[in-house]
Amino acid sequence: MKRLARAAVLSALADGLHERNSWTGETHLQKATFFLQEALGVPFEYDFILYKHGPFSFALRDELNSLEADRFIEVKPQRYPYGPRLETTHIGKALQAKFPRTMEMHRAAVDQVADFVRDRGVGELERLGTALLLIKENPNAHDEKLAELMTGIKPHVSLPEALTAVGEVRSFMSERHGAAV
Amino acid sequence: MEFAGQAFDVLIARQENVSEEVRDVVPELSAHNNFPYWRTVVRMAALCHDLGHLPFSHAAEHEILPEDVSHETLSEQVITSPEMRELFANMVPPVDAAVVAKLAVGAEKASQGRFSVWESLLSEIITGDAFGVDRMDYLLRDSHHAGVAYGRFDHHRLIQTLRLMMPAASPGPDEDDSQAPVIGIERGGLEASESLALARYFMFSQVYFHPIRVVYDIHLVDFLRNWLPEGKYGATVQQHLATTDNEVLTGMRVAAGDSSHPAHEPAQRILQRQHFKVLYERSVSDLELSPDPGLAVKAWAVNEYGEDAVRHKASRKGGGKLDFPVREFANRRVSSLSVSETLARLPSASGEYVFLRPDLVADARRKLTRNREEILGSWSPEDLEEDDMAALKEEL
Repeated sequence: MKRLARAAVLSALADGLHERNSWTGETHLQKATFFLQEALGVPFEYDFILYKHGPFSFALRDELNSLEADRFIEVKPQRYPYGPRLETTHIGKALQAKFPRTMEMHRAAVDQVADFVRDRGVGELERLGTALLLIKENPNAHDEKLAELMTGIKPHVSLPEALTAVGEVRSFMSERHGAAV
Repeated sequence: MEFAGQAFDVLIARQENVSEEVRDVVPELSAHNNFPYWRTVVRMAALCHDLGHLPFSHAAEHEILPEDVSHETLSEQVITSPEMRELFANMVPPVDAAVVAKLAVGAEKASQGRFSVWESLLSEIITGDAFGVDRMDYLLRDSHHAGVAYGRFDHHRLIQTLRLMMPAASPGPDEDDSQAPVIGIERGGLEASESLALARYFMFSQVYFHPIRVVYDIHLVDFLRNWLPEGKYGATVQQHLATTDNEVLTGMRVAAGDSSHPAHEPAQRILQRQHFKVLYERSVSDLELSPDPGLAVKAWAVNEYGEDAVRHKASRKGGGKLDFPVREFANRRVSSLSVSETLARLPSASGEYVFLRPDLVADARRKLTRNREEILGSWSPEDLEEDDMAALKEEL
């Protein structure tokens, strides 16, 4: 996908998260994009690695910064003590309108991921993102094994939390019919 | 390297700076006996961080390195070469070259394995987006050598107030969820961090993205493409170490004096200072007319004057917003962007230019001024969507 088309889909994802009461900080958008790409096959072509707070793409971080520089999204400071939210500008909305077929192609996937992420906090998204990454890396491993792997990589995550995350991601992936893959 | 040692001491070795909750999730912080080893590793990683830089540093890296090779790849190769391994092995305590390489290039670029929380923190000391000492160092150094004051900030105060801490409070049902620690800052260092952020913004917008500096990068790439064997830089350690600024400058002088040399034209442009001139610089208001005004002007100029007479470059600073935890009184951690208007409102530095051959630029500027709205509005991203759709159909 080319830069402007990616920008259109990313800004639509930010809109979708907003509509579902997500905080829509950078971490939320990182994890939602990871699900969009890795669970639903939207071809952003970002390289995600398992970083301190779950799957993270440095290229996506740079791209979000570019989108801000290009005025497609804006960073809105929030009430003390919280971090900022990302919001689509009117230029970003106009960009979406210039890519009707791209938007149509990925609309269902964006909605599914936004529904899944909804108002979850960053700690929960870290666990869910890590679960998806481990499922993709270890397709034949059972849930308990994946949970053990997660707690090994992330000592601050408890085993029950890891198991819940793996179960939720499996359930999301099995219900994804209808989204563009 | 000096900054890396200072940051290690403040963040890790000075135990009174490390809270219990951070120690709980990073057991290595309790292994005091290992600190001298890790301090050496971090200092070596900082020292070797840029060993993979090409002649003239970043100027032509993306265009002339083979695919899938970056300067970080070369840094890793040099650090883990037999000669360097031997040097590291003879240090007291002996140092593992592979670990040095991993920390030196960071999680984004490292070719080896996953980073533990401990390794991420150590690497962040060097390559971190907010407080990496590499950035502190290059801002101060470039500012000094470019003869500008923009890059200065109080690095002493900044480093002394760095702390490992859990992330700032985040909204949502799991507000108190534990996560991995990050590098944050004491409230007393906030102004020093603002000063660092401003220094970065000014250095990027005034120095790194200055149009004349940018156009010489373009001419350098044109030269190297025509001068290097097959237009690409060698990617082995031996090839890398054999080509310095000196070899390139000598080759440039030879090519400039030989009109039959394939690299003659760009060599002359650089050495005779006959660089292309700015035809167009993107302004914020142009984004209302076109989602990509630089490409719109480039497309018009290519159509009008031919591809060889036009160059285009869009530069955007990498990294994200400087959102890091700030520890206030009573150990309350808050987002830097909620307590600092400066950090929250600082724009992202960017620069985009279309350059034209000097003999054509006066005519082109006249035409562009007369027909600006028409030229900017004429370009549409629909062609790109066509490409994307075709690619998607193939995938599906």
